[in-house]
Amino acid sequence: MQIVLKDFTKTFDGNTVIDRMNLTVRDGEMLALLGPSGCGKSTTLFAICGIHRVNGGQILFGERDVSNMPSQQRNVGVVFQNYALYPHMSVFDNIAFPLKVRNDSKADIARDVRTIAELTHIAELLGRRPGQLSGGQQQRVALARALVRKPDVLLLDEPLANLDAKLRLEMRSEIRRIQLETGITAILVTHDQVEAMSMCDRIAIMKGGQILQIDAPKDMYHNPRTSFVAGFLGNPPISFLDGRTMDGRFLDEGTGVTLPLPAGVTVANGTGLTVGIRPEHFGHAGDVPVRGKVVFAETQGRENLYDVALPNGALLRSVQPARDDVRPGDEVSWQLNSAAALFFTEDGRRL
Amino acid sequence: MPARSYLTGLAFLSPALFVLIGFFFLPVVLTAVFAFTNMSTSTGISGGSYVITGNLLGSLKAQGVAPTVVDALSQASFVVDEQSIAKAQAAGTDAQFLAEIEQQLSGKAFSEERAFERELKSLRYRPRSIRDLKLAVDQFELSVLNTRFASAAEAREAVSELVPSAPADVVDEIVDASYTGWRWTTSNFTRLVSSSDTWRLVGNTIFYVAVTLSFTVFVGLFLAVTTFYLPAGAASAFSMLWLLPRITPVVLYTVMWKWFTWEGGFVYTAAQALGLPAFNYMKGSVPTAWTIVIMVNGFIGAAFAMILFSGALKAIPVQQLWASEADGASRWQQIRFIILPHLRWPILFVVSYQTLSLLSSYQEIWLTTNGGPGRTTTVWALESFNTALNSYTGNLQYGLGAAMALILVIVGVALSILYLRLFRFDELLSRPKIEF
Amino acid sequence: MTRNFANWPIVLVLLIISTPIIIMYAFLVIDTVTTSPPGSAIPNGFTLSHWRFLIDPTATGDVWRPTLTTILFTASIVVIVLGISSTAGYALSRLNMPFRRYFLAVVLVMHAFPLVTLIIGVFLVLQFVGLYNTLTGVVLVKAGLMLPFGIWIMKGFYDTVPWEIEMAGVQDGASRFTVWRKLILPQVKPGLFALALFAAIDAWGEYMLPRILAPSADFEVLSIYLNTVSDPDSTTYNFNLFKSVGLFYTLPILALYAIFRDRLMNIFGGGTKG
Repeated sequence: MQIVLKDFTKTFDGNTVIDRMNLTVRDGEMLALLGPSGCGKSTTLFAICGIHRVNGGQILFGERDVSNMPSQQRNVGVVFQNYALYPHMSVFDNIAFPLKVRNDSKADIARDVRTIAELTHIAELLGRRPGQLSGGQQQRVALARALVRKPDVLLLDEPLANLDAKLRLEMRSEIRRIQLETGITAILVTHDQVEAMSMCDRIAIMKGGQILQIDAPKDMYHNPRTSFVAGFLGNPPISFLDGRTMDGRFLDEGTGVTLPLPAGVTVANGTGLTVGIRPEHFGHAGDVPVRGKVVFAETQGRENLYDVALPNGALLRSVQPARDDVRPGDEVSWQLNSAAALFFTEDGRRL
Repeated sequence: MPARSYLTGLAFLSPALFVLIGFFFLPVVLTAVFAFTNMSTSTGISGGSYVITGNLLGSLKAQGVAPTVVDALSQASFVVDEQSIAKAQAAGTDAQFLAEIEQQLSGKAFSEERAFERELKSLRYRPRSIRDLKLAVDQFELSVLNTRFASAAEAREAVSELVPSAPADVVDEIVDASYTGWRWTTSNFTRLVSSSDTWRLVGNTIFYVAVTLSFTVFVGLFLAVTTFYLPAGAASAFSMLWLLPRITPVVLYTVMWKWFTWEGGFVYTAAQALGLPAFNYMKGSVPTAWTIVIMVNGFIGAAFAMILFSGALKAIPVQQLWASEADGASRWQQIRFIILPHLRWPILFVVSYQTLSLLSSYQEIWLTTNGGPGRTTTVWALESFNTALNSYTGNLQYGLGAAMALILVIVGVALSILYLRLFRFDELLSRPKIEF
Repeated sequence: MTRNFANWPIVLVLLIISTPIIIMYAFLVIDTVTTSPPGSAIPNGFTLSHWRFLIDPTATGDVWRPTLTTILFTASIVVIVLGISSTAGYALSRLNMPFRRYFLAVVLVMHAFPLVTLIIGVFLVLQFVGLYNTLTGVVLVKAGLMLPFGIWIMKGFYDTVPWEIEMAGVQDGASRFTVWRKLILPQVKPGLFALALFAAIDAWGEYMLPRILAPSADFEVLSIYLNTVSDPDSTTYNFNLFKSVGLFYTLPILALYAIFRDRLMNIFGGGTKG
């Protein structure tokens, strides 16, 4: 089912947290609401599931306007960050609860619970209490409970935040698998760009109650619309150099780095610009040599990370296949791939 | 739409609202209302009637009502008419005699009993005994004195009939004064302000609250800090011991104190054995009475304080204590610089909470010294209670008691509101997260 | 705690200030089964005769009727307090309603405010509604006076239940009542239990309300019974006897307290968190 937010506005005690936001989630897709804490992503999620009231605008599930409906009538499945399993009920009763309050017959309940438990791989845990389950298993139960009554939309609020690193990897693919198998429209709220990029069809990046950009993960990575988006995606993060235009080229006066501007862009001489260089585009094949001093080196096994300080103190990051001929303190002159450089105006807009 | 979620909230709250309005809001209102009445056992709680008594006439005379009117009211007259004959008949006066009276004297009135009696004696069928004659005479007596009138109009009619010469405003004054029900007045408060007893009560109350409170806080602190340092077994034994006064039913608790301090009791027996002065310590002297009142209440308060303080102490990160010991702090320094600062809010809380409850508590005093010896250990709340609900003389002065209670209520509410501010009530409020 | 300080001086001081309590409670137990010579507190013989009141109504009057009345009195109060506190506490903790702020403030003021001050007003209310001198009236008043405390305690317990459980229930399609009944109430069972214990102990020990609000009623609770027995003017007055009655009366409370001490602690502190 397609979810549409039209001019959605939310205020708390007179403070407008979200101002006329528009968002369309396509039928069957999984969309990430990605942003730093306080950006309004959870507020948006709570408005969609009917915990918060909207102060302006509309929320549409397909053709249905649910803006003024309580949660009970919206048919939304939610997985909370701490799973919110009912501690006094068995796994079976947890999953069966939504069906019981709907007065389904016992036979139907048993059948539906079994089906969903098999889909989420917890069929053998049905007799246990939540307290006896591991984090990953609790997560599966929460998913099963959210999905058991075939909701129109599945909302996931930071579902992986409480898991350790290994389980997080596993559940990432599990949640995606279940979403694809059920074909349900899903919205994932997260502050972790890796989660968003690996699990979702599209990402909506939010900041200060606004959506900055919505795109497929790959497009967003390579084609960020603002410097905030460029900085938010990518690990290790992108490095920025400040400079200005000079005779149709970008010049960082402090370091002497000069880069050609992208084709078809004309900017008045002396305009302040910021250039973003991803670590994979520095220290490999390139066309602009940059001299600097290695101030930090870290090996991750397959790859090494380097921080290179330029003469004015600006830092460029580089990620390279593992090597051990460069140590902190070494002077290096590495190539920068100017074709992959991203140019932004001083207020952060992409050129 | 908000209306629907509001309804859910109110539905959940309604049983509580019902009880709270009945047993808090109404009592407060009634206390305030009755503080401005002279209600007592003699006036009753519902309305009264109109009765002119001898006493009332005396005080009316003193207030300047014309003596002729008063005398007229106190005089009886004897009238023979249908009414009085019917009355005499009902009282069992001899029928022949009565028929004779009706025949001979009908319509006559006598202002003096003797004159009427003389008339009757001259009749043929008069009773033989003097006593029967007197009884018959009584039936014809017409008087307002000690007659109960249900309404003011009836009383006014009776008075005017008896003293036709009295001006209307004097009649009104008399009828008004004869009302036996309660009436509105501010005299409770003027009486409280002008009475020297009031100030002694205030002094007693302040002394009692201050000393008991200090006892509570210091003993509570001492218990909490010492049990904190003791091994778990001993600590738990002492804290169980000190909680006993708080959970023991108040009747048994106070009776145990009586056993402890009265003649024949433990301290008495021990003092006798040691050759010390032995008497009823609870009632025998003012200093011992106060000591016992303070200990009886202080022990209960100390238990309360100890629980709060111990809870706060357990919340101190134990690393801080280890660190201070590693830094070479003595035990006293540890208490002074780490533990006491942590207890600042709990102490303030105990002080505020106990001030209020000591101000208005009288149960323990009532059941031990009952304010004695004399009225030396009487506090405001006890006096208010005794005045309104527990008087020895049997005349319960609800109005005056309510006035005293009202003052306590006002002080209590003012203090509570002050504490709400002090303890940042606003921080306890969190908005419901589900807005539907 | 590290043990770099000596403990015995502290224990000694504690023992000294605890003397009155130790003596009173020790003799409360000892005197019920011993006899002592006149003018001495030291027992010289063992006897069970002070407990004869249990089977012999001529000693102090029948004790079992007051006991039954007290049980009924206590149970009714516990039921009322639990029922009303658990709904009102939930409303104040979780539900939207107009003037919520003021309700909370009023409950808190009443929680702090000593209710005995209102006894005169309560007396008049009972007179007007005709519940003066009835068990129902006393039960209602006692339960009512405990309510602000109960509501506040229960609100505190509800506040600790994660909001997400509530939200999940609502998402699962349950009404707020079902959420409360099926999901939230089971989470606050420890609170309900502790409040029930507290209410039971409090109601069991109540003396003043029955005495003032039902002075000439046809029922008698144990506190009144005990007070009659321990009246020095009474013909059966005897320290040993009233101690036996007192111990009999207090044993249920002591037992509850000994078994459930930990659960009661939070509540004895007035449900205040620092």
